[in-house]
Amino acid sequence: MERDYLIAGLRIRMDTDGRTKKQSAPYQTETAAEADIVITSHPEELQKRQPHLSLDDCEYLSTGSSFYCQLLKFDGMMIHASAVVMDGYAYLFSAPCGTGKSTHTALWRKVFGAQVVMLNDDKPALRLENGRWYAYGTPWSGKTDQNTNIRAPLGGICVLTRGTVNEIAPYNGVRAAFSLLEQTVRPNVPEARGRLLELLDDLLAKVPVWKMRCTYAAEAARVSHQAMTQEAKRRFE
Amino acid sequence: MKLKDGFVLRTVAGETVVLPTGGVTDFDMMITLNETGRFLWERLEKDTQKDELVKALLAEYDVTEELAARSVDTFIARLKELDFLA
Repeated sequence: MERDYLIAGLRIRMDTDGRTKKQSAPYQTETAAEADIVITSHPEELQKRQPHLSLDDCEYLSTGSSFYCQLLKFDGMMIHASAVVMDGYAYLFSAPCGTGKSTHTALWRKVFGAQVVMLNDDKPALRLENGRWYAYGTPWSGKTDQNTNIRAPLGGICVLTRGTVNEIAPYNGVRAAFSLLEQTVRPNVPEARGRLLELLDDLLAKVPVWKMRCTYAAEAARVSHQAMTQEAKRRFE
Repeated sequence: MKLKDGFVLRTVAGETVVLPTGGVTDFDMMITLNETGRFLWERLEKDTQKDELVKALLAEYDVTEELAARSVDTFIARLKELDFLA
């Protein structure tokens, strides 16, 4: 049965079961005439290519992929990141799988407690609205179900690498663009890829981007928190 | 001589970035071009010849014909190596 959802400020229509339906429940809304995005998923086809995945996981992955590809038409993009909201701003920690994105945001929660809300543990949606970038929780949050149906102005994005010390520095230019490009969906059509590059250009001009070497110690959270929250306030207030 | 179809070129963070799409290359590449590279790339989006590219460089930049010809040769050789030409 098709249902309507409000995700990243857009009306999404999809027919899902299992995990996808369960994680989408907080985003459900009453059905209206027209949807912004209609999600068509083909979990069986994905399972043929990835036979180790369950059909339920395949639906979760293919509906997410359909959503994030279509999001580009609405001035939006996905960043593969663990995202938190604190003091009114969203902060994203991006990295390849296994680097410890979720570990880092778990440290934020450990150090700063209930002030920290988990926006999306794996794939937050970003949207450019009236010239400003916002981050949204979505039902697609990777391995965990940690996501919250809220929106917050984007305060910063940090690209993480593992290190033996905690060091954070501004990350700019085309290197930062390529790091973020590696952590998003790149639909294999020229119009969408062109749009993605235009959005990235705007994002890099407006949102502070950081590169951090970090450890698993609580100090890592304090170091990223201090640099990122200070710069968000300086730039946006 | 012309580039294959399916590349997108945009300015990102002040630099020229090119991404291939479709079946242009086997790899998911990210490419940057310098100013001269972009100048030649944009001319190669339409069918052109080496001497036309050299002439265009000479008209735009204060360079010797020898240097312009060498730049065009180097650029085209690199595009061939990457199998970017149609």
